[in-house]
Amino acid sequence: MASMTVRICHLYPRLLSVAGDRGNLMAIARRCAWRGIGCSVTEAEVGEIPDFTQADLILLHGGQDREMTAAAEDLAAKSGPLREAIEGDAVVLAVCAGYQLLAHSYTPSAGPSIQGLGILDAVTEAGPVRFIGHLGIECSDFGPASSGSSASTGGRRLVGFENHSGRTFLGDGARPLGRVIAGAGNNGEDHTEGARYREVYATYMHGPVLPKNPWFADHLLSRALAHRYQDVEPLAPLADQTEDQAQDAALRLAVRQAPTWRTAATAVSRIVRQPSGRHRVPAGTSR
Amino acid sequence: MRTTNGVQVPPPASERARLALALAMGKAAGTAAQALKLGGGTSVSGAVARRIDPEILQKVAAASNASKVAVTGSNGKTTTCRMIAAMGDVSGLRVLQNRAGSNLLQGVISAAVRGTDLHGRLDAQLLVLEVDEGWVGRVNAAVQPDVFVITNIFRDQLDRFGELYSMARSLEKAIEALPPSSTVVLNADDPLVASLAPDAPARRVYFGIQSDVSNDSDAPTPEHSADTIRCVRCQHPLTYKAVHMSHLGEYWCPECGAERPHLDVAVTTALPLAQGQGFEVTIDTPAGTFPLQVPLPGVHNLYNAAAALACAQSVPTQSMPAQPMPAQPMPAQPMPGQPRPDDARRALAGLRPAFGRLEAIHADGREVVLAFVKNPTSYNTSLRTVLQGPGRRGQPRMHLLAAHSHTVVDGQDFAWLWDVDLEQLVPRLASLTISGNRAEEVALRFKYAGADPAAMRVVPDRAAALRTALAITPPGETLHIFAGYTPMRELRAVMERHAWVPPFWQE
Repeated sequence: MASMTVRICHLYPRLLSVAGDRGNLMAIARRCAWRGIGCSVTEAEVGEIPDFTQADLILLHGGQDREMTAAAEDLAAKSGPLREAIEGDAVVLAVCAGYQLLAHSYTPSAGPSIQGLGILDAVTEAGPVRFIGHLGIECSDFGPASSGSSASTGGRRLVGFENHSGRTFLGDGARPLGRVIAGAGNNGEDHTEGARYREVYATYMHGPVLPKNPWFADHLLSRALAHRYQDVEPLAPLADQTEDQAQDAALRLAVRQAPTWRTAATAVSRIVRQPSGRHRVPAGTSR
Repeated sequence: MRTTNGVQVPPPASERARLALALAMGKAAGTAAQALKLGGGTSVSGAVARRIDPEILQKVAAASNASKVAVTGSNGKTTTCRMIAAMGDVSGLRVLQNRAGSNLLQGVISAAVRGTDLHGRLDAQLLVLEVDEGWVGRVNAAVQPDVFVITNIFRDQLDRFGELYSMARSLEKAIEALPPSSTVVLNADDPLVASLAPDAPARRVYFGIQSDVSNDSDAPTPEHSADTIRCVRCQHPLTYKAVHMSHLGEYWCPECGAERPHLDVAVTTALPLAQGQGFEVTIDTPAGTFPLQVPLPGVHNLYNAAAALACAQSVPTQSMPAQPMPAQPMPAQPMPGQPRPDDARRALAGLRPAFGRLEAIHADGREVVLAFVKNPTSYNTSLRTVLQGPGRRGQPRMHLLAAHSHTVVDGQDFAWLWDVDLEQLVPRLASLTISGNRAEEVALRFKYAGADPAAMRVVPDRAAALRTALAITPPGETLHIFAGYTPMRELRAVMERHAWVPPFWQE
């Protein structure tokens, strides 16, 4: 394994960087280093077109509305080679605004829609409530859980922190990343969270998502290695007590917050309509 | 007091009685809280008083001839307020301020309760209010500040505010609500702050740092956690002539030509003092050149000093209350009631750090440096100040206690810890103790910054963590504490009980 190297393409590391998402890159880099796997990182900002044929793992993170608009304009120029890479099973982690940009469109409460790449069969519209809180999900199609709090329940769990007012609805061509057990997820209504297509994994989870969910980081890493190498052996296990404890603690907080997001969302929207409430969300639209 | 056709009309007796009752009960609650050692009573008296009279702040402010200052922004509010208050003191003004970071509405009202008699008469000539960004619209509407200071806008409490831009919009509204007779003091070096409400009627005063003061790079770029690095007008990436911290510096937009505004109050030189204990600085102002000593380390305190001086010079003079400053040639010397250079120098030279702002504490034969960190910029700035301080040479290795908790004040979301440059810190650590009710989260961040989990001591209880960390720190060495607001207050309370520090509300 020591001769292997995973090649990461980090899109818009400065433009789309607001909620600690660079921790996802740190998680992959450290978990490679602990196993003696090489890790090379190429960064591409606005106006720079990387060689997507050389990327095993592409990171596209979250950002605020102005930054997302700039990224959408630039992403159109990167669209062709990025799409080819995805059809060639390069692994993509897309978070929040990055998720919305890979789908068909984002429709704000006012003004024109932002066109996405349409790689994910999903549309997003601005909603009246901003979903801010812990988000826990269960993923059924990644095999059984092997460690952590979800070991007994079968499905593997992910936990993170969501902060979005966009509501995303999946079409038939995309399947969800998981089912919501705490928080809002895609839209606060249908209990879906995130989207998958080929090796694209899209989610609303900040947190950042990979350090706290080491099985998911390792899944992306092994798929990225499989993109480059044939007959890759399973990844060597790591001592993940610190990660598991952080995941357990966050899941406990997630489950303990409001009973369901629908109740909380209804309550919040009631407060929002009464501007004198002390929990009023500051004015202004955002994702 | 209400006005009818410019004539002041006393409020009806029932309203006066309600105000008196609110003030009496508020004062009683504050006294009781202190007596029962429930803290400083810095917000409970406001909560009680407001309950009885929701209009209390408006009434007290309207009835007072004091000059009123409101300070808001992501970082630097507390220290800037202390500097403004100190300058008011030496200029001979009776100053009242809200204390100890109690900057939500209740804390502001508590200050008003403390500073008034039972008739609602404010015993102060200068009211200095530190105001949380989320409350500034309501506080300003009630108080009608003569001077409104905005220090900076960084990513902070996104789980509360949503996004930077929604915060910026609410500050913009607050500026637009100010009358032409008031002054808004803005950080010119922050592209977002400088761009706020350009057409508002209030007089604008810009402060900042001249480029050659702390710039040592040919092609300066803001650090990765910087926020406003694109032109606010056209979204093109900004070019910097100098970066002093985060996205603060001298910038221009190569696309549309937008640039940093002209500095009215400019730090022109800053020479570090021995032992890293601050700077000897020169600040150019419309009222002349001020050679000052800033006895606090870190470039962020240069901004705080410039903001404070700009504010002090904008306060309406006592001889002409509520008169606008003359628009035509600014006097080359301070107006009466505004600080002269030697006064301002005396005011700043006597400052000690606000509690928890790199506060140095003697504790059981060790030195403790207590740093309140709440967002990537405040953490990175404190980190750099500590790592680069000349005092660190004799002690290449650091003992650290890192603590974060989720609370109403500190929020739920600690993703921002991943934007802090802990990678610079970890190789220097001799010991690492981790505490707070989010200790697992902090431990995970330190692990991925390179710390060995087996060598971390994870002690969620704050008092036990402090004991553990002090026990590992050899006598004569320094324990650094980086903590969020609530665990910082809790750790400081433990040290108060040991009498290593005075209670926060007494300082």
